Amino acid sequence: MVRSGLGRICVSHSSVTMHSILGSCVRFLLLLVVVQAVALGQSGQQQVVVEVTSALRQRDFDGALKTLESALQVSPGNPQLRVLQGIAYSGKGDKKNALASYRRALKDAPDYLPALEGAAQLEYEAGSADAIPLLEHVLRLRPNDSTAHAMLAATAAKSGDCATAVKHFAESGEMLERQPDALRVYGVCLLKLKEDDKAVGVFQELVAAAPDDARARRDLAAVQLSAGHSQDALATLKPLLDGDTEVDTLHLAADVYEANQDTPNAVKCLRAAIVKDPKQIPLYVDFAEIAMNHQSFQAGVTMLDAGLKLQPNAAQLYLARGVLYVQMAQYDKAEADFAKAEQLDPSQGMSAAAQGMLAEEKNQDNPDKALARVRAELAREPNDAFLWYLQAAIISQKSPEPSSTEFAAGIRSAKHAVELQPSLTAAHNVLAKYYLDSGENALAAKECRLALEGSPSDQTALYHLVQALRKTGKTDEIPELLKRLAKARQDAAREEGERNRYKLVVNPAGAAN
Amino acid sequence: MQGISSRDVKAQQRPVPSGKPFHAQFTDVAKQAGLIAPTIYGGIDQKKYIVEANGCGCAFIDYDNDGWMDIFLLSGTRLEGAPPGATNRLYKNNRDGTFTDVTEKAGLTAVGWANGVCVGDYNNDGFDDLFVTYFGQNRLYRNNSDGTFTDVTKDAGLLESGPARWGAGCAWVDYNRDGHLDLFVSNYIRFSFEHAPVPGASSTCNWKGIPVNCGPRGLPAGRHLLYRNNGDGTFTDVTKESGIAAATESYGMTVVAADFDEDGWPDIFVACDSTPSLLFMNNHDGTFREEGVVRGVALSDDGMEQAGMGVGIGDYNLDGHLDLFKTHFIGDTCGLYRNDGKGSFDEMTRAAKVGVETSFTSWGAGMVDLDNDGYPDILFVTGSVYPEVEKKLPQYPYKTPRVLFRNLGNGTFEELETQGGSGITTPHSSRGCAFGDFDNDGDLDVLIVNMNEPPSLLRNDLNPMRNWIKFKLEGVKSNRSAIGARVLVHFGGKVQAQAVVSQSSYYSCNDPRLHFGIGEAKEVDVDVFWPNGLHEVFRKLSANRLVTIRETVGVIPSKGWKS
Repeated sequence: MVRSGLGRICVSHSSVTMHSILGSCVRFLLLLVVVQAVALGQSGQQQVVVEVTSALRQRDFDGALKTLESALQVSPGNPQLRVLQGIAYSGKGDKKNALASYRRALKDAPDYLPALEGAAQLEYEAGSADAIPLLEHVLRLRPNDSTAHAMLAATAAKSGDCATAVKHFAESGEMLERQPDALRVYGVCLLKLKEDDKAVGVFQELVAAAPDDARARRDLAAVQLSAGHSQDALATLKPLLDGDTEVDTLHLAADVYEANQDTPNAVKCLRAAIVKDPKQIPLYVDFAEIAMNHQSFQAGVTMLDAGLKLQPNAAQLYLARGVLYVQMAQYDKAEADFAKAEQLDPSQGMSAAAQGMLAEEKNQDNPDKALARVRAELAREPNDAFLWYLQAAIISQKSPEPSSTEFAAGIRSAKHAVELQPSLTAAHNVLAKYYLDSGENALAAKECRLALEGSPSDQTALYHLVQALRKTGKTDEIPELLKRLAKARQDAAREEGERNRYKLVVNPAGAAN
Repeated sequence: MQGISSRDVKAQQRPVPSGKPFHAQFTDVAKQAGLIAPTIYGGIDQKKYIVEANGCGCAFIDYDNDGWMDIFLLSGTRLEGAPPGATNRLYKNNRDGTFTDVTEKAGLTAVGWANGVCVGDYNNDGFDDLFVTYFGQNRLYRNNSDGTFTDVTKDAGLLESGPARWGAGCAWVDYNRDGHLDLFVSNYIRFSFEHAPVPGASSTCNWKGIPVNCGPRGLPAGRHLLYRNNGDGTFTDVTKESGIAAATESYGMTVVAADFDEDGWPDIFVACDSTPSLLFMNNHDGTFREEGVVRGVALSDDGMEQAGMGVGIGDYNLDGHLDLFKTHFIGDTCGLYRNDGKGSFDEMTRAAKVGVETSFTSWGAGMVDLDNDGYPDILFVTGSVYPEVEKKLPQYPYKTPRVLFRNLGNGTFEELETQGGSGITTPHSSRGCAFGDFDNDGDLDVLIVNMNEPPSLLRNDLNPMRNWIKFKLEGVKSNRSAIGARVLVHFGGKVQAQAVVSQSSYYSCNDPRLHFGIGEAKEVDVDVFWPNGLHEVFRKLSANRLVTIRETVGVIPSKGWKS
């Protein structure tokens, strides 16, 4: 049930528009132009600059433009005057002409910082990628410009380039510290890059800045949970758990308690959340997941029944109940639930996979029958990677001869599954097994490595990789893989023990405890 | 073995029956043979502690060198104290299908939680000795050559200090090839009644929602031991310097020592419960390196731990290399591992169609030719460890049948659920079993330990008979028992490998005479790779007889044979 910190944190990139960053930027730009004009010591131009600056400060943009028009007829290539013109247009809200003025200044003086900053500002505000080369130009001239770093970071984050964003956020210094929204984006990017501990630090700053902000506290707890610091997450959430706790907090607390092996409190939180908001479907689904993990299938079914009374058209609830029925070997009920889920929400595309899984479970002693059902589902959902994987796995369980057509069909199916969904670890594993069986050990090793990219602790992938490397004679890597495999085994054994530690039961009234 | 180690593996689809007749029929003749004393082992209706659940092994041993297999059966006790008659038992073969209990006369009366037995002539005096593992002090019995044994544990330097160990598997093995049998002992868990959790106490103490005895998960693993034979009747613990101590902690069970990579030096395989099984490869310098995972025999085909308990060793695909078969817990297939001749294995469980069976908790096993067709079959015994469960969940009975897989000769097996006779189908909660020809009639019989019941002695009534040949090896420069010898028998254009081992199956020891079914072949050629490295070849040996070969001397007269 534990989702990633990312899943828990809702950050609107549009909220990080850096308005306040830009406010200070304009004032700075104006000062820079004045200082440079004075430094040039040209008395006529200096006089113009003084006049224009005064007009701009009084927000007399038309007056400033009139003065500049005359001066620019005399000195059309003067970048300082063009920048002042851009500022004046900006003040009027005429961003198109403002940008044209900055661009003209840059044509005459490509390294002129005020023009670069003015143009970058406008492009940034417009959300244009053209801001990036301008900001990079600024940073070449002034590498420690924290505003440019902050703007570049925000732009990169918006485009999904977290690696670049994190690099520039780190250089943004105080500019970032003053901007909670930007800081949150920084934290989210760190999470995306799997730098969980650094992300925790960022979200801790946010909580320190606003200790009473429930959202900031939930964000931090979610990130701590994702980073594996479940006790810290609990400590973070504790202040929110006294009194009238919000549903979102209870929902997250359930995750946190479960991660702390405190299933009774996890269940208590979920039940409280359901009482507060009985129509929130994910709460029932999470309850079912806890029930499943603790092999308390009937308790999960009972809770989902309650949810379905209130939400009779919730496809997710039927799907979840169907999965529980599969575990209870009540295949007819499972089949009915999967069909209902499909009927209610054909777009979710999960029920075909669920039907396939059901077919495999139901026909353990008859793989041909299971295959027929999976193929029927594939006819309906030809792009469902899980179904292609399932077909490959069922064929593999039959142990066909590597020279057989059935083996070829299995390997094709596995290949198609990984093509459709490269992140499907199980499909890479089954493909690796086919390659091992056919003696194509280098290909097997490659598939194992792909599986391990998404699931670094996958025991099957690690073991198959050891076998493939042994058979290819490339044994240098094996000692390290054996250590990883041993660690993965220990972790899995511990997790299995934790899952079995607590059982949910159904009380006579029918509610799960 | 227990608790949460159940994997819920899907059984493989059963292939269409071959329709071929199976000529071996097994009948339990224990009662008429005089094997009537029950094997006392823990509670009957409930097992409070895991100590009560695992049971023990047995051995075929010709302790009096008359050429007829005698029987040694281990025993446990009860938590509340040993009932009358609870003891290990030695039965002398009367050569007429019956046995006489000579336990007391032989000096082998012993009460305790015995587990494993390995048979070997550790002092090279020509008479096989016994080593018995216990939860508690293991015991070494020296054969006095006069029908009696003496407990020489203390004199041999094998007394243990500190908390009681749980000795499990054991194997005689001449790891340094000095001609003296050394001793490897696996240990299961570190256990004490004072600190042991009780049923239902934790996740490892429940099965299918029912409180059951705890472990092995959740309990500390044992430490395996290697003792070097000093050649003077004493032993030295060389666990640390040999590299055995460096292995990962594991719940060690049955031990099989053989030359898996065919380099002339014995290696050691330990089936481990709920932890990776171990394969110690011999470095030829008195040390070992553990390579079970890399060599493909430690984990399941998908890289998961299994509940390894019993081990069969043989050459199922007739490629001249020693393969392994390992038994597991209910909800998992047993494992069949094909040796490439270099000591690396590929799991062939499903490819060989052995994956059709996942219904039973499985223990003692043999990869042996039961119908003399020249292809080793597989037989293993089964039984639940939770007698209390069947009252609530009848689908999980305590007593379950034996499982017989006939080798079809094409790299695959076929499970014969009813064709092996009543000895196969009758349910018991069995543990150890030993394969041997107790009636010297040219086929392999099976001795089986049943929990809190008398043993089973499955007489094989093979009809029609096919050709066979047996080999009894006698070391001269090598250890006298020739333990560690590898034999290749060439017959009818085929070749089959076997090895002389002191333990296999589950904590048990087979008839030391290597039995080869050879089908229609009338004669065989034989390669003998002696433990000390000597390779001898014998040609055109005629079928249907026991051939005794003395190292460097050749074929000598056999003892005790009818013909």
